[in-house]
Amino acid sequence: MRNPIKVLRFFSCFLLVLILLPDARASATLIPHGTVDFVAENQWITPGQQTYLGINFQLENGWHIYWVNPGDSGQPPRVEWHLPTGLRAGEIEWPAPRRLGNSTIVDFGYDDAVMLLVPIRASSALPTNPAVQLGVQLRVLVCREICIPGSAQLSLTLPIKSMPPEVDARSSELFTAARRSLPRRAPGDWEFHVSDLKDSFVLTGKLGRQTTRATFFPFEESQVDNAAPQKVVPVATGFQLTLRKSDELLKPIKRLKGVLELSPNQAYVIDIAVSDDPVTR
Amino acid sequence: MKRFILFSVLFALVVLGSPLLILAAKVGEPAPDFTGTASNNQTYHLADYRGKFVVLEWHNNGCPYTRKHYNSGNMQKLQKQWTAQGVVWFTILSSAPGKQGYVDANGENTYMAKMGAAPTAALLDPTGTIGHSFDAKTTPQMIVINPQGVIIYDGAIDNRPTDDVKDIAGATNYVNLALGQALAGKPVETAATRPYGCSVKYKGSWF
Repeated sequence: MRNPIKVLRFFSCFLLVLILLPDARASATLIPHGTVDFVAENQWITPGQQTYLGINFQLENGWHIYWVNPGDSGQPPRVEWHLPTGLRAGEIEWPAPRRLGNSTIVDFGYDDAVMLLVPIRASSALPTNPAVQLGVQLRVLVCREICIPGSAQLSLTLPIKSMPPEVDARSSELFTAARRSLPRRAPGDWEFHVSDLKDSFVLTGKLGRQTTRATFFPFEESQVDNAAPQKVVPVATGFQLTLRKSDELLKPIKRLKGVLELSPNQAYVIDIAVSDDPVTR
Repeated sequence: MKRFILFSVLFALVVLGSPLLILAAKVGEPAPDFTGTASNNQTYHLADYRGKFVVLEWHNNGCPYTRKHYNSGNMQKLQKQWTAQGVVWFTILSSAPGKQGYVDANGENTYMAKMGAAPTAALLDPTGTIGHSFDAKTTPQMIVINPQGVIIYDGAIDNRPTDDVKDIAGATNYVNLALGQALAGKPVETAATRPYGCSVKYKGSWF
């Protein structure tokens, strides 16, 4: 190994291996008042299968970012994907948000920490590869009393293997926690009804048990008054929730879509036709 | 005793009911009147401008969304374009002292000179009185009032709710649309939108 050329060759091979080594979890990138990292659920991508990536935000105490409908102010994080041919990113899956704000301005978002999940669909024609790079250009508005726009270029290197996917133990807890916070489909035996009253919508839920807590987060802006308190009336079989209409709502709406949260980590996606019939019990 | 009961009821109504009595303005309803002191030291009464279209622009010079429209020159262009046609334009600063966007008269005059801002006047509203009476939620929220004193538009400046200057080109500007249609004697098609931006930094708001 005295030959300097050989030493150099050895060294560069070593470096190349280091660079190509797959990393399921890239190191955290700084954003205003927090960090973000980009994690993969599986150790490799399998052609023809779907895998999940996570955009994991950690924020300083008191700072928040926004849900897909940000509420009265703010803006949700935006992503622009840079993926190799054969990989396609789906829509962001948003955990149930929290109401943030005071009596006159209420936003929907996340404080402290949140992981957004993104499904990545791999084409079955995807050739195996020791290392492909998955990149995303992220823009995010981080707010406390004031708002600071930030951006980050995130990337992750994963191999493409024709073997069944295997979970990466380093990120599995994060994905488990993130999935718990995602709104899911409401059980088939639950019934919902939305009545259109003059100034409000009344959402009635029949869940087979008395329900004392319920919060609704509309997917669409300008339907519900974000800042108005949501009045829950428990009834024997469920609840009745009064949602004040937004002043920005000038036309009747056909459906009310959003997330109904009954307790932390117990949120459901609902999409209910709005009727002008009186509330049924 | 009857008088005492009556008094108590009235007292309860006034005290407990007062937050409800402050009904915020809505599209299609008369704009609440206000008196504001401007950075030029003049006093302005909204009611004095019956017969003219009036634009209200909520402003916070530190808000990224306000900066989008000022750094690009978009807001100044709108101010010049519409005041040249006889429209009255009030920029309203409802940030409380110590909060982002709060400036005194000198501070606002310096800012306006530097940015080439050209509203009719910049009203200093550090108590948030004007802001709350219109239920202004964000900067830059925009309100258009017709010559009869009725609100004909309330909401966002345009249809691109971002802080990116690149999004101004090609955006649908709702203020232009509302003033254009109203000046042509047509009804305003898009009369209310979600007013995107930063929350107004009112006194007592933590956010």
